[in-house]
Amino acid sequence: MEDVLEEVVSSDDLKKFERIYNEQLRSSVITQKAQFEYAWCLVRSKYPADIRKGILLLEDLYCNHNDSEKRDCLYYLAIGNARIKEYTKALNYVRSFLQVEPGNQQVQHLETLIKKKMEKEGLYGMAIAGGVIIGIASILGLSFAMVKRN
Amino acid sequence: MNRVDLKVVLLGNAAVGKTSLVERFVNERFNESLSYQNTIGAAFAAKQMQVNGKRLIMGIWDTAGSEKYDAMSRIYYRGAKAAIICYDIIKSNTFQRAKFWIRELRTVEEGCKIYICATKNDILKHGAVPSPDINVVETYAAGIQAKFFITSSKTGENVAELFNEIAQDFMSDPNNVQKVEEVIDISNESKGTYCCQ
Repeated sequence: MEDVLEEVVSSDDLKKFERIYNEQLRSSVITQKAQFEYAWCLVRSKYPADIRKGILLLEDLYCNHNDSEKRDCLYYLAIGNARIKEYTKALNYVRSFLQVEPGNQQVQHLETLIKKKMEKEGLYGMAIAGGVIIGIASILGLSFAMVKRN
Repeated sequence: MNRVDLKVVLLGNAAVGKTSLVERFVNERFNESLSYQNTIGAAFAAKQMQVNGKRLIMGIWDTAGSEKYDAMSRIYYRGAKAAIICYDIIKSNTFQRAKFWIRELRTVEEGCKIYICATKNDILKHGAVPSPDINVVETYAAGIQAKFFITSSKTGENVAELFNEIAQDFMSDPNNVQKVEEVIDISNESKGTYCCQ
């Protein structure tokens, strides 16, 4: 039911933080706080389009702001990407976080959740199967080339 | 874990030991060598418990204490049946912050039971003095009909007792017992076709 990859933002909350962000957008002074809170609601939405928008806002914060906010951005970038099944990206964000704070349990836990989700969707298996197929294909291709040469 | 019967939220100043309290209760451990890591946003943990022969799952939202996350914490206490408001037993400023959350909960979430928790009781053995005085907190807690626990996540003192009390209080309401039983019935009936999401 719950957990950080499953919980869904209520539409009231999303609207509330969207309104604050949009007001600031119109006055052309957007505070980090407003952008972060709106992005944090977006990545917890059930709609992939919202999540993608949230990811863009977080990427922007990550690039343009100070270090203390960077860890927050990385964490929610990992969550957002995992929720739209961009697992490779999600795990990359987790790893960059753990490079800076190797012992962070909250992020280690998130890594476990992401891997479990991938396993459940059979993506771990698929990645391995994919490797096997490529392997077989290259052997076939090679033998085909050899046959042709003969 | 696919269902939560009892939602509990932890609130309180940064670094008072909310995450350590959850870690002690859920995983029965305390890592002294770990340096302080402030929680980002909110973390979630769940634990299955037994109360009067009935099973229930407690879902715990461990919120970040730093003030910049206040807007986020407010979203996580919504719908909570119990709130553990933590403060550091020797830091009166963290008790002030605890009072801030209690006032807010009392106006916004009337159905949420409040448990005040003084953390880090083990440091008193090394000569530290409680602030505010324990009597003051006891009087305050009695005045707002909240329960008061003094815990140490390091030694485990009173931690299980606190969470058990929360579960007991929850199950002392017949409506809650009925809800928990209904969920169990449903999950038993659909055995076989039930997909464990």
